[in-house]
Amino acid sequence: MKRTLPQTASILVLALASALAVAGDAANGFLPVEGGDFRSSVRYEEATRQTRVASFSLMARPVSNGEFAGFVARQPQWRRDRIPSVFASPGYLGHWATADAPGAAVDADGPVVHVNWYAADAYCREQQARLPRFVEWEYAAAADATRRDARGDPRWRMRQVNDGTPHAMDAAADAPANAYGIQGLHGAYWEWSEDYASLLGDGDRRGQQDGDSLRYCGATALAFNDPGDYGVVKRFVLLSALQPGATLGNLGFRCARSTP
Amino acid sequence: MKRMSFFLSATLALAGTLHAQSLPGESVYHLQASTQAADGQPVAWSSLRGQPRVVSMFYTNCHLMCPLIIENAKSVQKQLSPAERKRLGVVMVSLDPARDTPAAMQDVARRHRVPEGWRFLTPAADDVRAIASVLDVRYRFRDDGSINHTSVLVLLDADGRVRARSEVTGAAADPQFLTQVKALLAGP
Repeated sequence: MKRTLPQTASILVLALASALAVAGDAANGFLPVEGGDFRSSVRYEEATRQTRVASFSLMARPVSNGEFAGFVARQPQWRRDRIPSVFASPGYLGHWATADAPGAAVDADGPVVHVNWYAADAYCREQQARLPRFVEWEYAAAADATRRDARGDPRWRMRQVNDGTPHAMDAAADAPANAYGIQGLHGAYWEWSEDYASLLGDGDRRGQQDGDSLRYCGATALAFNDPGDYGVVKRFVLLSALQPGATLGNLGFRCARSTP
Repeated sequence: MKRMSFFLSATLALAGTLHAQSLPGESVYHLQASTQAADGQPVAWSSLRGQPRVVSMFYTNCHLMCPLIIENAKSVQKQLSPAERKRLGVVMVSLDPARDTPAAMQDVARRHRVPEGWRFLTPAADDVRAIASVLDVRYRFRDDGSINHTSVLVLLDADGRVRARSEVTGAAADPQFLTQVKALLAGP
């Protein structure tokens, strides 16, 4: 099943999207990430175990201001002056010069920020893609320039304390791509995940099966297999605290595709 | 019969007028999402507009909280007057489209003897998170296939604005939520 759109509109959108996807792929293509067994640094209520991550592909870099401007031109309901308030907070695309363009003061090639989850989700749908799940981000971001899982290297990992700041290791323009060819996963910007809201934060009452998990799963959800994995811990805590309509000056996104 | 069809066309005309009007910005019906009803028919999320509703998210393979959610919603409905009951829709939305087929949804409705008129909707797999987001329902699949989720009844007005929420902790309706439901139904 697909989201319902008026038929002509969806044909138009598809035609446009595929035309642009071809153009866009050269600049920001989807790179394959081969799946495998993975020990996430995040621990949920269940016993610790390896997670199987299926193969997927991920955009080489975050979606840029220029790319997002193309999207709001094609789907103007996502302009900051038209987006319904149910999806948005007042800061949405607030750093752009106008409702339809980032303007000269904003780097067109830099990651778009001040976007909420709904707009990021809609952008990825238009690319016949989706937002990556948190574990997919974590899996791809475990790689450094040469190793697919560099997390055993304390020095490399220590530098992730700066993730989401201008001092992040991938923040520099000449930072190398990781072993998958993907850039900016430890950059100056955080990125939305599809399941930001499964990162069940403190204060949520939820759960089932037994009274204890009803009362305590919030607390146990914020536990980590590896509290020394700073990049992941920081990211997890940040995303789990967000409402889907929220925007931040250092939060963008990129899209993923399942491997058929 | 004649009277009935007059009533029906009046309702349709009214519904038409409502749809012609623009949705308020806060409406959850801005979301374009598709679902399937327990009878197998496709139901656009936005087509729920037009009637105040109590909406919740659950899954059929859930044995502690979800029965409580259903019983709690029944308890709300039971404490309404017949006129109020007629005005309020009850919608249960699945978090688990892979397993919650129309047959599974019909089965759960039967097992819980839910009153006629309740709707059981299964969203398209890639629409669950967005519907959950506008209702502020957080959920996560556990390795064993069960789902951790916010257990909540959400009161929507006819235009899809969230008017009240009730965390479900037992089978009995929350008195404050009931007051909010009645107040909404008493309005224009």
